[in-house]
Amino acid sequence: MRRAIYAAVTLLGVSISIFVILRVLPGDPLVAILGVEGHAQMRPADRVRIMADLGLSDPLPVQYLRWLGDIAAGRLGKSFFRGDTVAEQILHRGPISAEIAVLALIVSWLVGLPVGILSAFKPNSVPDGVARALSVLFIAVPGFWLGMLIVLALLFWFGYKAPIVIVPLWQSPWENLQIVLGPGVVLGLAQGAYIARMSRSCLLEVISEDFVRTARAKGLREGFVVMRHALPNALLPVITISGVLLGFVLGGSVAVEQAFGVPGLGRALVTAVIERDIIVVQNLVLLYAVIFVVVNVLVDLSYAWLDPRIRYS
Amino acid sequence: MPAITAAEPRIATARGEPALKTLLTELVRFSRRNTLAAIGGFVGLCIVFVALAAPLLAPRDPLKADFRRMNKPPDAQSLLGTDQVGRDTLSRVIYGARTSLFVAFSAVILGTTVGSLWGVACGYLRGRFDLVSQRIMEIMQAFPDLILAMAISMAIGTGLQAVIFAIAITRIPFGGRVIRSVALTVREMPYVEAGRASGGSAARIMAIHVLPQCVAPYLVLASTHLGVAIVIEAALGFLGVGVPPPTPTWGNMLADSITALVPPWWLAFFPGLAITVTVLAFNLLGDGIRDVLDPRLSPAFLRMMAGGKRE
Repeated sequence: MRRAIYAAVTLLGVSISIFVILRVLPGDPLVAILGVEGHAQMRPADRVRIMADLGLSDPLPVQYLRWLGDIAAGRLGKSFFRGDTVAEQILHRGPISAEIAVLALIVSWLVGLPVGILSAFKPNSVPDGVARALSVLFIAVPGFWLGMLIVLALLFWFGYKAPIVIVPLWQSPWENLQIVLGPGVVLGLAQGAYIARMSRSCLLEVISEDFVRTARAKGLREGFVVMRHALPNALLPVITISGVLLGFVLGGSVAVEQAFGVPGLGRALVTAVIERDIIVVQNLVLLYAVIFVVVNVLVDLSYAWLDPRIRYS
Repeated sequence: MPAITAAEPRIATARGEPALKTLLTELVRFSRRNTLAAIGGFVGLCIVFVALAAPLLAPRDPLKADFRRMNKPPDAQSLLGTDQVGRDTLSRVIYGARTSLFVAFSAVILGTTVGSLWGVACGYLRGRFDLVSQRIMEIMQAFPDLILAMAISMAIGTGLQAVIFAIAITRIPFGGRVIRSVALTVREMPYVEAGRASGGSAARIMAIHVLPQCVAPYLVLASTHLGVAIVIEAALGFLGVGVPPPTPTWGNMLADSITALVPPWWLAFFPGLAITVTVLAFNLLGDGIRDVLDPRLSPAFLRMMAGGKRE
């Protein structure tokens, strides 16, 4: 409960800082919308009228509170440049980005955990060395570059291009999968590298503890000892790091979506930032932060649920 | 007394002349134990050298278009090919190292320094200041790095300084949290207490007692964040919100390459390779420095920090 209140306070602070960054620092939003020249050509009366139309001429605290009210009412405002509202954009593009994030999470565990376990089984063996080298490599490779190379390679050798129009999962699972598979796997491999590293070091630490020695002394098979006794105890930190890694997934997906040409939310955010579409940026950045914070609260709660020694008062 | 004066010159020479030699032996010992880190450090140094000596090393002007040689694959005249307007890719990659490293070093030094000073103040002063600061840092960490950097650089305009500033801000809470925990331990040390007892002001104690203890973790932090900063800078450039063209940066070059319908592979490949090698080198070096300087920043410790709040 206290954790949730903290998170709510954090999110309130997040919304204030987004508002301050986007409204107070850049000066005149009209210059942002129209460009310096367009702004200069306009008559002052028109400027005032447009500002009032956009609701940008009220005092900043009023604007801020109205923004919060709008969010509570589900109205997220409209793009300066496009007809669609931000809510429509999120509904239209959100699912595809969410699929990518979930896929990345699944891939990271499917790849990272077995590799980590294998490494920890025989530390400093050849497979362990290979696994560690690969994880160091995948942590260093920028996802968007890997994505570009994959797109290029498919194009060169197979003349293949993934569909560029959004296809909902329930309409055509196959086409949908073609869109999300690339970004999901690329993002997942990078996170998987962290998970492999983490699970290896956690397992090695747990394996040196007394209860594992007891289990071995009882004559249990090594595989059973690791999977049944050591692994559950080593998993908790890995789950935590997975929540922290979500930040990389969310941030990274913005660049990776661009590399794959996926029309997801990240793409919408980039477009809005380049066009200086303040309302869209403000809401999308908030959305990303909300997801990040909420998931980390869930991770913390699951932590307490999985490990009865930890209780959040 | 005479014994001491007689001994002094020997100490002086031991510290003076062979300092280079001891440094070298230290380095050799370091590289024996941490071969990977040494390789990383060597490659990193080479890249820094390339960046500094770019005007001497680049075979051509990185900005000069040559319309007779557009989209040429790698050949003898331009080793890594040319781009859509005939600029030499090799020269642009070399100059790109300049921009990338300059942005990454400045942003990391700026962000980590501000964060560390803040962290020292939090850890030493505690109380309400610490509580409020912790909340503020939590808010800063609630944004995914790249997205916060994008929003900030959008707000303050694109340009070299804007990008540095944007990346630096995302580094502040990391410095703040780690150094705060160091300061929390140091403030309980007897010599700090002695300083307080003899009437030293908080500012004085923080400066002469607490800060020196933070140097090692500071170096570890800074070196581990260099790689991250380089990736963020490249990603910003790739997304078109980084250092604006025509300045050659690795991210800009990658962004240029995908505007073509069928992107030439050399334009897509080499700048990314440069990013990867650089990040890899700095990450390896950072890991090595961490192992040597500060076992407290080992993965186990960081995990404890991340998992935190065991009650």
